[in-house]
Amino acid sequence: MKDGITRDDFARMIAGAAASIRAQHAMLSQLDCAAGDGDHGTTMLRAVERLEKSFAPGSPEDLKACLREAGWNVLGVDGGASSSLLGTFFSGMADAPACGASIGASDLAAIFEAGLAAMRKQTKAEPGDKTMMDALVPAIQALRAAADAGKSVIEALRDAAGAARAGAEATRNLTARYGRAKLLGEKTRGHQDPGATSMSLMFEGFCSGFEESKGESGNA
Amino acid sequence: MPMKKFINRPENIVPELLEGFALSHPKQIRLTGSNLVARATPKAKGKVGVVTLGGSGHEPGLSGFVGEGMLDISVAGEIFAAPGAPRCLEAIRLADYGAGVLFIVLNHAGDVLSANITMEMAKREGLNVKMALTHEDIAGGSNPEDRRGLVGFLPVYKVAGAAAEQGGSLDTCLEIAERMGRNMRTLAVAVQTATHPSTGQPIFELGDDEMEIGMGQHGEAGTGRMKLKTADETAEIVLEMLLKDLEVKPGEELLVIVNGAGATTLMELFILFRRVHQILKAKGIKLVRSQVGEFITTQEQAGFQLMIARMDAELIRLWDAPSNAPYFVVR
Repeated sequence: MKDGITRDDFARMIAGAAASIRAQHAMLSQLDCAAGDGDHGTTMLRAVERLEKSFAPGSPEDLKACLREAGWNVLGVDGGASSSLLGTFFSGMADAPACGASIGASDLAAIFEAGLAAMRKQTKAEPGDKTMMDALVPAIQALRAAADAGKSVIEALRDAAGAARAGAEATRNLTARYGRAKLLGEKTRGHQDPGATSMSLMFEGFCSGFEESKGESGNA
Repeated sequence: MPMKKFINRPENIVPELLEGFALSHPKQIRLTGSNLVARATPKAKGKVGVVTLGGSGHEPGLSGFVGEGMLDISVAGEIFAAPGAPRCLEAIRLADYGAGVLFIVLNHAGDVLSANITMEMAKREGLNVKMALTHEDIAGGSNPEDRRGLVGFLPVYKVAGAAAEQGGSLDTCLEIAERMGRNMRTLAVAVQTATHPSTGQPIFELGDDEMEIGMGQHGEAGTGRMKLKTADETAEIVLEMLLKDLEVKPGEELLVIVNGAGATTLMELFILFRRVHQILKAKGIKLVRSQVGEFITTQEQAGFQLMIARMDAELIRLWDAPSNAPYFVVR
């Protein structure tokens, strides 16, 4: 299955996301100063480092087991709501029935949907509330739409990254309704949400990580 | 302005502060498991364990209140950020002495998320744990979900901790914690921001001549910014808002806590308390217990929290019970 995703591809996607967060973590902390306490970049950096470690050589061969461990490790970042939600996202992915050795775009969408479903048990935040959901929900919807339209994994990931970016950029015009920023209300307008921005960066990283993965295997 | 703090590497702040705290109070506390702050001498079997969680950078909150008669274990997170569920679950397992565990959580988004995930996992493991949420900051408005947990954690730890120490059941301890919680109100006032010790960035902006009433623990925007007022004027505004919200009537008995945010001096706190005392006396409200000091801080933030709580005979008895917690010794 040429277009499928293996555990190793997933590891590359995670590495891509980590590289993307690593390159932008100072910007994320800066964004967080507007309505938070300026540590979002640091928290995300610690979270992606743990994600990478969960997929490093020596970690479980099984994608499901890897995701469960990754989720637990991210929960252990001790970085407040961001790491609790991100950890829930990854451990929730492991509940997807399709979570096997080699998966296609539709299975990948199902994995991300399972992660989102787990998050929704913990937060009532929806798109429009100026949180990471503003990037995550449209990204997963775009992934599902692409998969249903028969697009390849990389096309689906590109669509998802595009939707995440648009969702994150749109948070600039929103008023926060969740978390610490909620209490700032209208004052949050004009600032892009750091959580949505980091989600968008993660999807960009998933995309570039997967491209690299397939690029290399193509050369081999 | 560059940050001037005595730290080493930013990523080592939390482990180093916990190490220093434990070393400075070896008779009362110790570190156990994954850097959990626990009592030096564990509680006797058959008594309820009391656990809390919260971000660091607010010392002596919250770990300063671990000790006989108060908390069994405190789970400290990163700077201003809640610890995740794995360490909270570990703490609950360790604090289960056979009579269940009371998990006291301050209402802040990250803390509640971690606590809810922890509660799910604990229940899956068959642990007997109940959660008490503190949310007494009236700046959040009328919806209790929007009210954050501020210095009111102190009386809740104290009375629930005393009830647990005296052999109360988990349901009794929960009822005491919730009764205390229902009867307390807090407002925070800020006059100067703090820098985040890891990033060196100010956590909010406030004009040189401004103060903000209804500031939360970290500079979450509150109810009102205004020109700086005198101690008496400020105490009057804040106390009136609290008395109105709690619907305090003449003759009722109150506990009052004035908590310094970090850079406000005890001198100022006493001047504020003096005015609170005068107003209560004039209104015929009995001030039965009081505390003035630093119980939860936010670095060099300047400002204070004023908390009032309606007390009954049982709550007073539990408030007066002994504690050897490093930052709340009662003999």
